[in-house]
Amino acid sequence: MTAATGTMRPVRHPSLRRRRSPLARWYRRHERAVLGIVGITAFLLFWELGSRAGVIDAFFFSRPTGILEAAVAEVQLPRFWNDVRVSAFEFFGGFIIAVGLGVPLGLLLGWYRRLSYLVDPWLNLFNSLPRLALLPIIVLWLGLGTEAKLATVFLGAFFSIVIPTVQGVRTVDRRLLDVATSFGASQRRIFTSVVLPATVPFIVTGIRLGIGRALIGVVLAEIYAQTEGLGVMIDRSADTLQAGRMFFGILIFVAAGVISVQGLRRIEESFQRWRPAQEES
Amino acid sequence: MHGTEIALSARGVRLEYMDRATRVSMLAIERMDLDIHEGEFVAIVGPSGCGKTTFLKIVDGLLPVTDGEIVVGSGGHGRDHAMVFQDSSLFPWYSVLDNVAYGLVCQGVGKREAQDRARPYIDMVGLSGFQSKFPYQLSGGMQQRANLARALTVDPELLLMDEPFASLDAQTRELMQAELLRICAAAGKTVLFITHQIDEAIFLADRVIVMSARPGRILADIDIELSRPRELSVKRTAPFTAYEDQVWKLIASQLPALGPQRAAA
Amino acid sequence: MAAQSSQLSRRKHPGNAQPPRIVLPERLVLGVIGFVAVLIVWELVVDLKLEKASLLSSPTRIVTAAIQDFGSGAIWPHIGTSFLEWGIGFALAIAVGIPFGLAVGMFRRLEYLVDPFLAALYATPTVAIAPLVILVLGIELPAKAFLVFLFGVLPMTIATINGVHSAERRYLDIARSFRAPAMLRFRSVILPSSVPYIIAGLRIAGGHALVGVIVAEFLAANAGLGFYISFNGTTLNSARVFLGILIIGAFGVFYGEVIRRIEAKFEVWRPALR
Repeated sequence: MTAATGTMRPVRHPSLRRRRSPLARWYRRHERAVLGIVGITAFLLFWELGSRAGVIDAFFFSRPTGILEAAVAEVQLPRFWNDVRVSAFEFFGGFIIAVGLGVPLGLLLGWYRRLSYLVDPWLNLFNSLPRLALLPIIVLWLGLGTEAKLATVFLGAFFSIVIPTVQGVRTVDRRLLDVATSFGASQRRIFTSVVLPATVPFIVTGIRLGIGRALIGVVLAEIYAQTEGLGVMIDRSADTLQAGRMFFGILIFVAAGVISVQGLRRIEESFQRWRPAQEES
Repeated sequence: MHGTEIALSARGVRLEYMDRATRVSMLAIERMDLDIHEGEFVAIVGPSGCGKTTFLKIVDGLLPVTDGEIVVGSGGHGRDHAMVFQDSSLFPWYSVLDNVAYGLVCQGVGKREAQDRARPYIDMVGLSGFQSKFPYQLSGGMQQRANLARALTVDPELLLMDEPFASLDAQTRELMQAELLRICAAAGKTVLFITHQIDEAIFLADRVIVMSARPGRILADIDIELSRPRELSVKRTAPFTAYEDQVWKLIASQLPALGPQRAAA
Repeated sequence: MAAQSSQLSRRKHPGNAQPPRIVLPERLVLGVIGFVAVLIVWELVVDLKLEKASLLSSPTRIVTAAIQDFGSGAIWPHIGTSFLEWGIGFALAIAVGIPFGLAVGMFRRLEYLVDPFLAALYATPTVAIAPLVILVLGIELPAKAFLVFLFGVLPMTIATINGVHSAERRYLDIARSFRAPAMLRFRSVILPSSVPYIIAGLRIAGGHALVGVIVAEFLAANAGLGFYISFNGTTLNSARVFLGILIIGAFGVFYGEVIRRIEAKFEVWRPALR
């Protein structure tokens, strides 16, 4: 675009842009990142300064530096690391069980129509219930310990994974199934070469939804049971008006959520090189 | 140019099915009797919805018949038949090479060997250099070339083609028709080709079967006596257009808006 | 191959031999069998008097509890409280989420600015903020409505943004080519494209808001279905726990049906989406 400017003076059509300075061009290329950073920085500055000036009640909302101080103090406590360990175990444990049972069950139900007819009513019932409401029953059954929390996390994520998986198997392109049958593929090959690849995007969607549900399950179960874990840390900090520490706890969950969602996106991309472009989610 | 061996024999093929919505029994194909000799290129044309694709699926074993009998193949080399599907029937998650090797893999051939045996066919259809592309990276014409290579790779005696060029633009379609003739001549295949394009059927085939409107049956079986190899320019010759007229009149008689005698049939 | 072809030729209509009149009822029959079988097993397990079995409650006990609590009217205030919290919080979520989503979707720079926040909040379990909300707003209606709002607003916003993004380039180009002013472009292209997404957002956000109601009432309340559930949980009255859950589930189903109706009304111009 710059090469031709010496010899030809283009007619100035409104859509033709002026040449930009290098800085402006750099900005245009990185506008998204720049504005994102500006947004976050402005937010943090407003929080910090507003809190110092008394516009924001530091008593409730702390301030970025306050959170940082609380974080520095917190990471030196063995209790904090125990909380992290407990919460991480509940999250990963419950979630892995949910994926380990949910994906195979979803595939089975999608594949065997009669089986799905049998369980459909219960599946739909459970799916339309807010499963977190089962928490008191879970506690009645399993007590306040790890099992109850694993069960809560599991229930939160399980249905979010099963249902899209079933959906994925059922919406496999009829034509591709015909192709496989036509070439004499065995049932097993039809499954691995058609059904599974076609269902992967649905499974990933389910897993993404499931992550959110599982995190909610961890926090709610911990706050409800009041034994240990980061949920308890957040709740106790709120009760004792340690806003900095509370925000630190919340931030850990924000980080956990962001990291899992982004990590999943990475995995998804490597799984789906065969797809034209990534759609927004 | 054709052998005396029969590659496909259909006797009294009839297909009824139950309409899921109305729960009424529908007759899709009334009766089909057809013999195809080895090395022959037979095209079936007919008004849309006449059951020509259905018939092809029956031949391929994808649909069961209600009555009648179909015998495919005489038990030679390779698989007895393979289907070239309509557009977008490549597995989007496989590369061109894996798609083309698919039929062999289904027969239990090891992946490496299947790929090695697929490569010559990729070259034959003119896709050299595209074997590691995914289907979405190919144009419609190239996708159909891969589709053809996939069927050729299993070395079938009978090639079933289900409107393979229907969704291509006019120029690409003509090009692919000429390519198909070249490839078929090179590979020596028997072909059963379904299309709704009259000129395509005449250009490609040794015999054109014209089907009636639903329920499908054979209206006419026309020998196309145009010499081979055929160039695209044959489409502008008088014999060719005479065939076109003949077939068009048959089909027009089946279209409700054009053929008042349809009620009699 | 010869065997294969002869097998093919012998294939005389196995598929059509049984008339498919069983196709539709089969789903219903198996569904009812599956549903009833679980109910019966549930009922029987409790009678086995296993340890903790009474905590499972049973279908008949749940029905009994329902008759009692609806009969005495004791449950209505709880339903009313929850519904009010849901209504206020969710209405707020809609009132904020849709306009905000439209703005973010249409103005690229605004999107760049808020994108990190949306991504972070999207991945955050909203419950984690609940103690803060309760700390600031107390345990009365405002706190709970605000929590419900928090649960609902993000899905609403994100669905709306996706809706705006779904407006197809070529329709926008058509509008631009006809020199449609910005407002008309918005009304003739962006809004119609967004509507299905916004409705889908209403469905999702409504469900999230319902979770918000329960969470809020679990953590701090003296009325509402969440309170009813957790109170009866601590007093080992498991039949009433199930009853509360079922009522919420029923509301969820009812709400889903309402959304389906709305969807059908708005979608006359496009073929059914599944």
